[in-house]
Amino acid sequence: MEITSINPQQENHSSEELHHDIDDINHSHTDIIIEEISRGQKLLHRHKMSKPSINIGRGYGNDIILADPHICSEHLKIQLVNGFWQIQDQESINGTFLENPKEKKKPADKHILEDGDIISIGKSQLRIHFVDHPVAETVKFSPFESFINLMRHPIALLISVALFTLVSGTIFYLDKPIEVNFSQLLVPAIGMSLLFSLWPAGIALVSHLTKHDARVLTQLGICFAFFNLMWFSDLLENIVAFNSSSNSIFTVLIAILPIALAFCMLWLNCYIGFHMTAKRRMVVSIGITVLLFGGSYLIKYSNKPDFNARPQYNSVLMTPSFLLTPSASVDEFIEDSNRLFDKANKAAAKE
Amino acid sequence: MKYIFAFISLLFSHCVTAAEQAEEIFAQLTPSLYQIKLIDKASGEKSSIGSGFQITSDGLIATNYHVISSYARHPSKYRMEYLDHQGNTNTLTLESVDVINDLALVKREVTEPMEFFVISSQTPHKGEKLYSLGNPHDLGMIVVPGTYNGLKKESFSDRIHFTGSINSGMSGGPVVNKQAKVVGINVATSGNQIGFLVPHDKLVTLFNSYQQSPPDSIKAQMASQLMTSQNKLMSALLNSNWESKSLGGKGAIPIIDVPFIRCWGESNADKQDALILTAVANCSLDENTYISSRFFTGSVEIEFRYMQAKELGSNKFYHLYRQQIARAGAGNRAGKDDVSEYQCHHDIVMPNNKAINNKSVFCTRAYKDFPDLYDVLYLGASIDKQQQALVSHFTISGVSQENSMAFTEKFLEAVSWK
Repeated sequence: MEITSINPQQENHSSEELHHDIDDINHSHTDIIIEEISRGQKLLHRHKMSKPSINIGRGYGNDIILADPHICSEHLKIQLVNGFWQIQDQESINGTFLENPKEKKKPADKHILEDGDIISIGKSQLRIHFVDHPVAETVKFSPFESFINLMRHPIALLISVALFTLVSGTIFYLDKPIEVNFSQLLVPAIGMSLLFSLWPAGIALVSHLTKHDARVLTQLGICFAFFNLMWFSDLLENIVAFNSSSNSIFTVLIAILPIALAFCMLWLNCYIGFHMTAKRRMVVSIGITVLLFGGSYLIKYSNKPDFNARPQYNSVLMTPSFLLTPSASVDEFIEDSNRLFDKANKAAAKE
Repeated sequence: MKYIFAFISLLFSHCVTAAEQAEEIFAQLTPSLYQIKLIDKASGEKSSIGSGFQITSDGLIATNYHVISSYARHPSKYRMEYLDHQGNTNTLTLESVDVINDLALVKREVTEPMEFFVISSQTPHKGEKLYSLGNPHDLGMIVVPGTYNGLKKESFSDRIHFTGSINSGMSGGPVVNKQAKVVGINVATSGNQIGFLVPHDKLVTLFNSYQQSPPDSIKAQMASQLMTSQNKLMSALLNSNWESKSLGGKGAIPIIDVPFIRCWGESNADKQDALILTAVANCSLDENTYISSRFFTGSVEIEFRYMQAKELGSNKFYHLYRQQIARAGAGNRAGKDDVSEYQCHHDIVMPNNKAINNKSVFCTRAYKDFPDLYDVLYLGASIDKQQQALVSHFTISGVSQENSMAFTEKFLEAVSWK
């Protein structure tokens, strides 16, 4: 509130306003919120003070006691002077500075505090808020909340994991060309479940480490629900591949399903595990999905030989009960196959 | 004792006469015999060798196509040279080829008319003594006596069965009768004194057509020969009797009744612990056409597989069945420079008799150097029985679109459940 040049009329007017302002400030700024924050601007502690003078330092006589060894025992004082909070450095060894993202940090002694100021003392940082500091809008419970709550229920979780184990066991059974007994299937099936539970466990660990709730059961519940959905999408994909001819567009559409499922799962992982803005959550989950599928596509693409002497064809077979489409006649098949020759000629002419 | 002595002396005298004859023939013919070498231009070293023999006074030399195939495919990479009995070396030019019968005509420059081999006008009679000439393994020109045993049986392209050692490097060398007239050309061996020769009349045909009009381009000549040959083969296959046979007691499969398609069978009926009973019948053309060391064509393979689950759920049966059909491959060897990648189409197909429902896959790839020729592959897997399956599969290489489609159509209609 510095006024450099004013005419008397304006002066009167503005001093009135100034007074009014000061009244306002007096009223609202008797309380001050001092937050200890980490260098990554994460909140560590929050103090709400109602005193006109606040001592900060390492000594036990202070109002706010900090453990940072680079802070003096009586480091600084924040005082309410004429309705403004002012910093007073107590001739500390390492000084008190005002952090400013745009400028270089400058000494904070005698500085009048504003809402949102960050003061650095020693290696610690303090953020100042006044009570009228606006807070972010309330985050509504997402419509998934009931689904999440259902899935984290121990019984639901148990069913999900059991279903997953059962499906992986069945797949092992189907893949083995020889006779197998139950225990031979049980070990790889359980191993598979353990392997897949690494992902939710990993996320829970990361959210724990980043000072969020771990919510292990919720993560497990959601992940296994989605893993099961992916088995189902796999089955759907097989049914479509089995029933469709080369001409069908369905095969392309169904290929999007697992990608969509993976995205949803990652989105929920973020939603459960971390507090982040909706936009950020979107970016993170899209990012990981792209990394996952794009990466596997890249690996597949980079391993692709320059020339493949083997034909690449759809060899999906399922039992007759999965056959849903009517058969084509030999003539139709011949007609469709005839079109391949042009394609082959074009492919041959390409190089 | 007297008899034994007489026998030994008889044997000895016979050997002497055979050796004398061979010696005489060799001495007489050796000026017209050559070693043919392909020299890799970049390294300056020989990359393949074979034999050849002069058939005209002006320097036309006959050899095998496979001896000079690298040059025919990549003329800029190689140089073709001959080495005569006196050790003289000079370059050769490629004049004409017969890729189906594995023959080639090359030419050397001559300053004056030279001696040459006379091609016989008669086919030998069975048991007749013949002499094969050539340079095996670069060891020098040799003569190998042997016996004419008629034409190879059950063969699509004619080959003389010659009982005598033919070794690599002798390819392209002449086989003469006692009158020193050429009756065949060394081409292949299956070891243990079994050799194969190209009959002399193929050479006569090639020579005559060369005399009338030399080919403009070797590539085009090969393309037209391959096209003609596949037409002949495919019309033989399509017009012969397709006999319906039973496979595993349940499947009805066609067996093409032509002598050059030979069938073999196998099953795992003796394996008690097998989860699936499998019976396989496969039929194929034993020969193929050599285009280069990495490119063969003209093959036909047909395979039928009957499978039956033994105490196995249909889900698992189909899962294993699916693995069985996942890796069908080409029937012939071909590389990136020779063919395109396979283009495939699949659908669920039921023939007109409604006796089977198949998942059918058809794939084809085009030849890069020979227009309108393709390799095709078909795979049919029955999907209408819970515990049984019938796989029908064929590959044909170097075939036209029209012929391959006609074959596919006939094949699809001929496979069914009984």
